[in-house]
Amino acid sequence: MTLAAGLGYALIALGPAFSLFAGVVARKPFLVLTVLSSTLFWLISLIVLSGIWRGFLPIKSGAWWAYAILILTSVALQEGTRLVFWRLYKKMEEMLDAFADRISKPRLSLTDKMLISLAGGLGHGVAHAVFFCLSLLTPAFGRATFYIETCSKMPFFLASALIALGFLVIHTFSMIIAFNAYDERKKSDQVFVPVIHLAAAVMTLVNLAPGGCLIGTPLLLVMAALTLQHCWRVACQRLTEHRHQQHNSN
Amino acid sequence: MDPAAASPVPAPAVEEPVSATSVLDTLGAEVLAVMSPVSICMALVVLLISLLSPPSSGSAAGSPPPVTAATLVYLESPNDSPGQKLLGALLDAAVFVALVAAVTFVLVALYYYRCTGFLKNYMRFSAFFVIFSMGGAIVAAVLRRLAAPLDAPTALLLLFNGAAVGVLSVFASAVPILVRQGYMVALAVIVAAWLSRLPEWTTWIMLVALAVYDLVAVLAPRGPLRMLVELASSRDDELPALVYESRPTVGPATSSSSYASAMGSVEMQTMTDSGQIRGSRYDRVEQEEDASPAVVEMRDLGRGRSSDGEMNRSRGSVLQMENLEREVPVTSAELTANQGGSSQHAVIQIEQPDEEERSPLVSAASTNNAALDEEEHRQSSSSEPLDFEMFESTRGIKLGLGDFVFYSVLVGRAAMYDLMTVYACYLAIIAGLGCTLILLSICRNALPALPISIMLGVTFYFLTRLLMEPFVVGASTNLVMF
Repeated sequence: MTLAAGLGYALIALGPAFSLFAGVVARKPFLVLTVLSSTLFWLISLIVLSGIWRGFLPIKSGAWWAYAILILTSVALQEGTRLVFWRLYKKMEEMLDAFADRISKPRLSLTDKMLISLAGGLGHGVAHAVFFCLSLLTPAFGRATFYIETCSKMPFFLASALIALGFLVIHTFSMIIAFNAYDERKKSDQVFVPVIHLAAAVMTLVNLAPGGCLIGTPLLLVMAALTLQHCWRVACQRLTEHRHQQHNSN
Repeated sequence: MDPAAASPVPAPAVEEPVSATSVLDTLGAEVLAVMSPVSICMALVVLLISLLSPPSSGSAAGSPPPVTAATLVYLESPNDSPGQKLLGALLDAAVFVALVAAVTFVLVALYYYRCTGFLKNYMRFSAFFVIFSMGGAIVAAVLRRLAAPLDAPTALLLLFNGAAVGVLSVFASAVPILVRQGYMVALAVIVAAWLSRLPEWTTWIMLVALAVYDLVAVLAPRGPLRMLVELASSRDDELPALVYESRPTVGPATSSSSYASAMGSVEMQTMTDSGQIRGSRYDRVEQEEDASPAVVEMRDLGRGRSSDGEMNRSRGSVLQMENLEREVPVTSAELTANQGGSSQHAVIQIEQPDEEERSPLVSAASTNNAALDEEEHRQSSSSEPLDFEMFESTRGIKLGLGDFVFYSVLVGRAAMYDLMTVYACYLAIIAGLGCTLILLSICRNALPALPISIMLGVTFYFLTRLLMEPFVVGASTNLVMF
């Protein structure tokens, strides 16, 4: 439906990411590099996943359980990737601290670390949105629109853009929660992240049923909001703790 | 809850200063300053291609592929069998690489015999020709596609002006850096868009062959590009190539000066034999301390640095150099590359359009990194004083224009298939570029910029096309995402 619609869908999926990028990430070149590398990571994990699943495609349209297994494996792999990313991040943090010492600048502060995890999450989210939503959006720039059979009330592009938005929020902010949890070794949060990811992914299975996208998409967005709220809580808590520590030490 | 409204990372706490002293602020600035123009170039090429030719893998709908050096032996047509196509593409690529190598050797010979006048004028002509003729063809195609009315005399006038300014900006030093960078990117976009019209198999095989050639030409002892780099550095002269200069402005003294070329150039005339002086900046600093008769001549250009840039004060200048070393830290993550001086003296060479691709672009591909390690020696016979405030900002990285072109050709060819491959190839190329830059900071001598990126890009293209796309498209068209 013309340029305006296509741009609109793209902005629905990527608008918040873009504003996060422009407002927070673009100011520090290092964060931009972090976004790029985490996007690359996500892409590699996706390629590995598709390599594993290539033999079983295409999936018959009725077999929803195949999709369920697909989702299980995908989420498992991606959470594994997150752990690997965390390890790499720790190593890089050491290097950065050593470098900061060498040029006699202060070490990474808590805000810096959170910014890095935000950038990492943003990379994942942007990669997801780009590969799952944007690459299919080209026909939307044309003159017509498209509905899929199971979702006859919402244009396909709108549904996929909304889902991409939900997942972008989930990926971005659950990375902050995850890094925080790995840092502080909080089991509850460490479990929270994969659970939310899995729940959100399973929620998209609802889209397979006829008319399901009208239920699935809003629920997904609710979950995204939940992630956001949890992350807000975690971040505030951590920062106030940090401030207290600093006050006590001063 | 509005996701966009609440960022969970609150504004920095009161006692933590915002960003002034954090390590995150400045790290990676130079790398980004190179990656941004590469990204912009690729984006523009993708845009052009998707605008001008329908993204179909067959070229039947588009214009017939140009008769170029890359299709001398075999011109691919959609009806041939894969084996035939492969063989033909290999032959084409071999011929092309041989041509490029021959031309590079000719360039080296010309440079060796100091035919700088000829080279310079030839490059001027080439720049003009590329922008005017090839750029004009692209503009015409775009206008036709958009059905935008523009009469011929106006178009000619505008093109001519654009091309003239382009020629000026590429060579003269008194041009704002942004204009020059813009024209470099424009040149790369034009050449890449033109090259993308090659048939598919030929493109891929040619890219791989060029990557291998670049590797050999830069690293092998007798490689033409290595000889060129050594010649240039032994003469303390600019490389005769078209390079993109990135100039991150870190310090308060941004290069508002018009002497954009003088960044990082310190003119030094030591009493020792200058012909032998090689190596990195830091070597020279040590040399300075030892060689007491060394005279460091630094011409100052105001801006409140009067205390620093006195001429012919060796002691003071040596101290200045030492301060410089501390100001500009070197780590594995940060690259301090020299700017290598004015393009006014640069014998810059552009590819000859009718010969597909010239060696200088390929040589430029590696001279990026060659320039990185160049000493600041320059027999500056120009009357332009060298700018001094560069010491406050870190040195930028230079990337040859050939790199831009071939990255964009890869991405452009990926764009002809699908957008997903475009993103995958873009990420692969950026990752390869990052790896190359990291390697550069470790190795500190000329490195080819093509091989890693092209190999990664080609790998990711085929992986995405064969593996990932059925998977992702199958999942997302059913609105099943994870």
